[in-house]
Amino acid sequence: MKEGKKEISPDTENSIYYARDNSQYVITSAPDMGVLKGLGIIKDARVHKVFTFKMGGPVLLRVGSREIAIGKDIAEKIMVGGK
Amino acid sequence: MAGCHETDEEAKNFEKQDIILLMGNPNVGKSVFFSDMTGIHVVSSNYAGTTVSYTEGTIKLGDKNYTLIDVPGTYSLEATSDAEAVAINFLKCNPVAVICVLDSTNLERNVKFALELKKYNIPIVYALNMIDVAKRHGYEINTGLLAEELGAPVISTVAVKGEGLDELKEALRRVISRSERISEGNASYSASCENEKAVWNKAREIAARVCKQVNSELGFLDKLGSSMLKPWPGIPIALLVILMSIFVIVGGGKILQDGILLPLVNETVVPFFRNLLSMVIPEGIFLNVLTGEYGIFVIGFEWIFTLILPYVFLFYVVFSFLEDSGILPRLSVLFDSIMRRLGVQGGSMITILMGYGCAVPAIIGSRTATTRKERLIISAVICFAVPCISQTGALISLFANFSPLLLVLMFLLSFAIMMTVSGILGRIIKGKVDPLVIEIPNLLIPNGKAYVKKLMLRMRHFLMDAEVPMLLSILIAAVLKETGLLNYIAVYLEPVVSGWLGLPKEAVIALILGIIRREMAVAPLLEIEGLTALQAFVGGTVALLYLPCLSVFGILTREFNAKVALAIAGSTVINALLVAGLINQVARLFM
Repeated sequence: MKEGKKEISPDTENSIYYARDNSQYVITSAPDMGVLKGLGIIKDARVHKVFTFKMGGPVLLRVGSREIAIGKDIAEKIMVGGK
Repeated sequence: MAGCHETDEEAKNFEKQDIILLMGNPNVGKSVFFSDMTGIHVVSSNYAGTTVSYTEGTIKLGDKNYTLIDVPGTYSLEATSDAEAVAINFLKCNPVAVICVLDSTNLERNVKFALELKKYNIPIVYALNMIDVAKRHGYEINTGLLAEELGAPVISTVAVKGEGLDELKEALRRVISRSERISEGNASYSASCENEKAVWNKAREIAARVCKQVNSELGFLDKLGSSMLKPWPGIPIALLVILMSIFVIVGGGKILQDGILLPLVNETVVPFFRNLLSMVIPEGIFLNVLTGEYGIFVIGFEWIFTLILPYVFLFYVVFSFLEDSGILPRLSVLFDSIMRRLGVQGGSMITILMGYGCAVPAIIGSRTATTRKERLIISAVICFAVPCISQTGALISLFANFSPLLLVLMFLLSFAIMMTVSGILGRIIKGKVDPLVIEIPNLLIPNGKAYVKKLMLRMRHFLMDAEVPMLLSILIAAVLKETGLLNYIAVYLEPVVSGWLGLPKEAVIALILGIIRREMAVAPLLEIEGLTALQAFVGGTVALLYLPCLSVFGILTREFNAKVALAIAGSTVINALLVAGLINQVARLFM
């Protein structure tokens, strides 16, 4: 049972990975990575979270007019706030 | 400067005069422009990162020749990756102009790139590409206004259909002649204190001003594109796509082979050469080497034309379609969680699928992996257990005499080995594997002309690369068998081949030829009379897991180093003999 529902650590609680599906968010902090910057995933950017794939899959975001999938380990480090 | 090993080649470009750069975000169609403008064909696909190193060609504007360089796509010009470092390096080698390709379906980010590029003060022409897809999405773009904002000409194009190319060349010619009149190309980088966020804001603002959405209703392809990303109905669709692909390749290949090629070769081509050669050459060993049971003119046609070519052709028919349609990145997103368990990330799936065609382009393509650890894992997995299409074709023929179940079993075995290899390497190689970050391209119906061109290019590459090793292995096979030399060698390998693997002694040829090409480890088994199902499966297992061909050995040495190549070659041979032998020994206990 413990395995099934993993505790979300307080560090990643406010990340885009666990945020509610189908909503707009504003990024409050994002890892300093070239790819993310290039794709427009930077502080204060608006993103639309579509959903998170089950079983540790990636999160699907819409940035501008384009869909971007981001793996769990990075998505957990992208913090967001309400719009 | 650039953290790149091709320093010699780069130095060469620094000295070159009259360079025009082709730049832009990944997957905006740069390579299509390059092919059209230079006549040099490079493989392009509908996902990011097809161009992993640069290509150069000649472009004629008016009566002057320029060198056009297809720079790898980058999202920004910040030198955060090898590809970006290469791009920046080229900007500093005094190009006369830049063609910056913009994706009109994703204006914000492309305008942001344009703004970064503008800072280099090099004459630019913008190609607003994929304007047809933007229209399909209901967008209307004011190119005049965009040109004003960017301070350079903007030409609407549909590169795959060749639309707008003449206008683009004309604009390029004018921009170059104007800059020659004004200054002597003293391009300098005007450093500005604008930060990342300000550039983004400006780009967003420009994009919003020039682009209007006149129709927000999604078309069928866009709806399908989105639903393919959701587990339901995405996963069933993905499985259907995979099954259909296998069906087309295996079923279609079998039909081509049995219905057309085999009768043609056996009843017409081979008898023709037999008659012809027996008229000029006296009977004896030499004639046997040419037209005997294993003669060059017999197995040369039989193996290459019936065993391999139909499958190679159909594989690229299917794979090129998957590439150009934008289905592959959707598969990598859907299967990311499974790939993560294997120690890599979803994006690697495209590279591994490519390996089912041929390991050589797959290993080169693994450059898109962001860490060395991931590259090593992918390359090793491909070498250990991914059969190339030539070999798959031969395996299909081998198992067709017994039961299709053997083919399914063989693929299950290959998956098991893949998981084991990636599991072990993930643990022993130091370093990390970066998680997936992937942009989902638009779902497209591939353009007929571009698709056929790419297919022809791939078949030509295959024939050129495979011809010499294939002929070499056929020559060796013919000489070994028809001169009786085989019997001498077989004595030494008897304990392994017959004792441990339980195969007839003719299988020795397979082991020898398998070093040169993968399918040649299977083809000789087809010629052995009275092979049992177990022997076929054991022989197939050895072939599947055996060391990849000579070309792969070469590419591993080039992309990594000789140590890696030797380690992979050695461990695949040991693994192949071990696993196949165990299958034989265990199966015999029960039989």
